[in-house]
Amino acid sequence: MKTELPVGIINRENSGLKKLKPDIPRITVGLATCGAAVGGTAIYERLRESIQKRNPDLSLVPTGCIGYCREEPIVTVAHPGKPLVLLNRVSVKDCDDILNAVLSGTVPHDKALCRIEEWDHLMGHNITYGRGFDEIPLYDEIPFFGQQKKVILRDAGIINPEDIDEFLAVGGYSAAYNALRNMEPDTVLEEVEKSGLRGRGGAGFPAGLKWRITKEKKSDKKYIICNADEGDPGAYMNRNEMESDPHMLIEGMILGAYAIGTDEGLIYIRAEYPLAIRRLKHAIAEARELGILGENIFGTDFSFDIQIATGAGAFVCGESTALVASIEGRTGRPHPRPPRLTDSGLWGKPTDLNNVETWCNVPVIIKNGSEWYRNIGAEKNSGTKVFSLVGDVEKVGLVEVPLGTTLKRIVFDIGNGGADGKAVKAVQTGGPSGGCIPLRLFDTTVDFESLNAIGSIMGSGGIVVMDEDTNMVDIARYFISFATGESCGKCIPCREGLKHTLILLNRILAGKGTAEDLDTLKSLSETIAATSLCGLGQTAPNPVLTTLEYFRGEYDSLVKL
Amino acid sequence: MTDNTVCSTEELLKKSSEDVTVIINGREYPAKKGEVMLGVAIREGIEIPHLCYEASLSPYGACRLCMVEKRCRDRSEMVTSCTLRAEDGLEVVTDSPEILRHRRMILELYLAEAPKSEVIKSLAARYGVTKTRFFKKTDKDDPLGNKCILCGLCVRVCNEIIGAGVISFVNRGPYTVVSTPFSGENSDCLGCKACVSVCPTHAIVTGDSGDERIMKSWGETKVKMRECPVCGNYYLPDLLAEKVYAKINPPLSKNIQEMCPKCRSRNIAIKEISASSNRR
Repeated sequence: MKTELPVGIINRENSGLKKLKPDIPRITVGLATCGAAVGGTAIYERLRESIQKRNPDLSLVPTGCIGYCREEPIVTVAHPGKPLVLLNRVSVKDCDDILNAVLSGTVPHDKALCRIEEWDHLMGHNITYGRGFDEIPLYDEIPFFGQQKKVILRDAGIINPEDIDEFLAVGGYSAAYNALRNMEPDTVLEEVEKSGLRGRGGAGFPAGLKWRITKEKKSDKKYIICNADEGDPGAYMNRNEMESDPHMLIEGMILGAYAIGTDEGLIYIRAEYPLAIRRLKHAIAEARELGILGENIFGTDFSFDIQIATGAGAFVCGESTALVASIEGRTGRPHPRPPRLTDSGLWGKPTDLNNVETWCNVPVIIKNGSEWYRNIGAEKNSGTKVFSLVGDVEKVGLVEVPLGTTLKRIVFDIGNGGADGKAVKAVQTGGPSGGCIPLRLFDTTVDFESLNAIGSIMGSGGIVVMDEDTNMVDIARYFISFATGESCGKCIPCREGLKHTLILLNRILAGKGTAEDLDTLKSLSETIAATSLCGLGQTAPNPVLTTLEYFRGEYDSLVKL
Repeated sequence: MTDNTVCSTEELLKKSSEDVTVIINGREYPAKKGEVMLGVAIREGIEIPHLCYEASLSPYGACRLCMVEKRCRDRSEMVTSCTLRAEDGLEVVTDSPEILRHRRMILELYLAEAPKSEVIKSLAARYGVTKTRFFKKTDKDDPLGNKCILCGLCVRVCNEIIGAGVISFVNRGPYTVVSTPFSGENSDCLGCKACVSVCPTHAIVTGDSGDERIMKSWGETKVKMRECPVCGNYYLPDLLAEKVYAKINPPLSKNIQEMCPKCRSRNIAIKEISASSNRR
């Protein structure tokens, strides 16, 4: 699929390529929120000051996060014609050594994690850095990286998220350009349907079908919304996707808007993500400037623009109807469905709501075709999924693997097992409303159906690892306490039921529980799951139900039998 | 409401004319397409417990007591009958063992949430639930007397029908209460007591004293009452009177407008009698 981009954009693309592969050494610092939190900002400032003082020919840019949280702050160095070298656990006091090494044409080998000779951004633009520094391991030789498949995170930590030129240079917006110029909206929609892409927010509803339902509704106005209200404890995939590659999301939304037939999109993002909000706003402004958002995109008849709506700190506002209420300025409380958003969403108009990561999947599907995409992942679960692998695991970080990968592979092969050599006991998938899965079920593949079958959910992609020291009853209490605090209070099973679940768990943990309490706990949890109004209440008892099933002994040892 | 496809049952019935047949507990009943199933059940005298449903308000689905089993081929699904719309051949079961089990658990939760409510006690007793395993809420200072079950009927009637928006939900989760802004007096209150009449658990306390109506549960909001120039009784909140009289066209004549309903009918009756005796 050859595309002839407008001259203005081609110029920016070329300028981006010069920035990514300059004829002077390029130093980058991982500055997503995570990198900044462990000292990245200070490192960046120190390097900037030193470079200014010594005035050498060096380029210094911020990037997003490459996902290896444990090894942050991560700094990369690329000499012209040499591989891109990742330096890990850099501190401010290493900055002078780094600069000295770079100025003498090399890299500080003691800080080097791995090298990248060539990188495929999957949008038809491979970047070849070069060869050399053979004593530094290759990227693929690092187990944490080598066993992943980066589709969504293909640009994260490599390009500057605040520079549209670099995004264009790695093939960004070429899918949107080609679609708007050469494809019918229906063809775009069919490609997404054929790709088998399912909603990455947790429920796994086929994205193409949701688009079609919205498209086929008759209405003078329609909306598309990106759900960026990521609120699960321990989950930060969407944050990194927006902070490291905001244009990928925008491109996905342009394609969705074109397929569905709407001119207005919103990103509903939680206020707790200030950097993501800033980078998205910046990216939207850059895209507007180049005519990629706004009236007559790429000179076509198609117009579309995106606004940002920030949340006010309620977990339940990730639920579709509560989210719309929040955007409209009402209290974020869910209402019963139907009507679904596709019938009556924002301002009563048909609305398509998809998660950040769902939108991010679209450009690569349109670029490479549905068949290419379907070859990644498993039956009925195509594509990759980004997980945040956290908790008592040796290698904490963002992990992107094809759907259908086993838990064992994620936790042991990529995560290298328990932290500090401790034995892994369980993982919890799917955020606060997921279930706790015991070690003996780690052959379970991570896909929507398999996780449901053992009482957990995919959710948005949090994987919390628990080691042998973990008290599973206490874990259940923690998650119930979270859900109780985040319940909106509209329906009784969630409002009162979770409160009493918490009271029961506290009583059991205090050693004052009885065998009857365990029965009550179980039947109460079942009622909450069966009768709650929205997904929050329906899934909130999962941690209790799964720990009761898989770790019953721990409960029994706490109560007087 | 901004949500224009959500409308009350009455409105929907006016729009819909299509007759359909629904099946409740194995028996066929006539219904209008789009009508809520709880409404059909109420009309047909089939018992489905409910606390947050009111035909003239938009469906809310919060009390979870009216859940029924919707049968669809070999699958069944639990849904609230107050939000389930009638369509031809729709089959529901109102009292399967599963439904009853969850209903009893919810009633236990209600007994703990509103321990002072006789309505809840007797409703629970009908399902064999006479005590609760859960901690009872006891708040000595609760302006709603530990009887509120947060069904939202008062909030909705005040917003949707009266258009006053005096009360709302405050806080969230288990800390949710219904109250006025900052739990203080709210001068927007018309004193119409629509909230009192829809409250299923009789939780809202009011009292009339002299020329004032006191909405005790709503931050002790005081509403001025209108005095009847004839009998001297205080009979109608001033703000409500203004709102209602503004809607009557042509307006009532000044001398009857001021009177209380009793004196007004007496006045009219006397006029009629004297007019007819004059004719004679």
